[in-house]
Amino acid sequence: MEAAPITQALDDHMKDVIVAVKRAVSSAIPHIKDDPKVVDKAIEDCKEILDLVMEGNVSEWFS
Amino acid sequence: MFSDKIELKDFEKTDPEYQDLIRRVLAIQADCEIGGPNLYVKDILPNAPTKLDQLIVARTAAEEMDHFRKMAKLAGDVGVDVTYVLSWPNQKRYVEAFRGQITTWEDFAVFGFLVDRVGRFQLEEFLDCTYLPLARVVEDPDIIQEEIGHVDFGTNLAAEFAAKGGEAKERIQKAVDYWYVKGLDMFGNSQSKRSERYMFWGLKRRPNAVARQQYKDEVDALIKKMGLTVPDPNKGRLYT
Repeated sequence: MEAAPITQALDDHMKDVIVAVKRAVSSAIPHIKDDPKVVDKAIEDCKEILDLVMEGNVSEWFS
Repeated sequence: MFSDKIELKDFEKTDPEYQDLIRRVLAIQADCEIGGPNLYVKDILPNAPTKLDQLIVARTAAEEMDHFRKMAKLAGDVGVDVTYVLSWPNQKRYVEAFRGQITTWEDFAVFGFLVDRVGRFQLEEFLDCTYLPLARVVEDPDIIQEEIGHVDFGTNLAAEFAAKGGEAKERIQKAVDYWYVKGLDMFGNSQSKRSERYMFWGLKRRPNAVARQQYKDEVDALIKKMGLTVPDPNKGRLYT
């Protein structure tokens, strides 16, 4: 069975994106009460990453 | 009833109908997984009530994207490129529940309570199914546990709104009224011939009507426990 050409590249890209969001969330949660700057930066990072995925310009991800 | 266990290397040797059903269900499942974040990231991530809530929304979206990734990989391995669903506008989604936009925290709560719960039911359909790569993905504890986490967060939040009474309760009832019928519709047509074929090929465990009734029993009990009114199950339905 031949896989669709983009399969592995998409999988690798999505893994990187997901790890980045989860890492930002995990790093911010312990600082919810004591460091608003860290939390704000994490939320901003998550938003930026997630917005790119939601835009869905897949061809740009691999260009 | 088909009961062989199929690995990817044997996929091409299977009946064309089996191949078509696998390709179809993986594309729909991938679309539903990415459809959730597309409903709520835009408006709810920046506007959730607290910073912790914003982080929970981001983590929820990341987990759903990971479920998409897993389904997209399974689809890609059998030759189906599902990247088209990443660029689809919400209005094009396979499943009607994902065609709008979530703009309120109450709707986000009830989406988890009712629609992510359907997601859990759908994933459970594939447990021990005949296509082993799919069975392995859903039997990995991560995917169903994460879905349960989303369901529990939404359920607890909906219950908190209901317990407040007054306007908060009215707002959550309105959200329940909206999503309840969408959740019931997500199980598809009770007379679906395709559903019978999925069962014949060992790719689903329950007829649509049975899964829907089990879901309905579960959510009706929870809605009543919250002190809310169970909506009319026939009002506004697309499928029965």
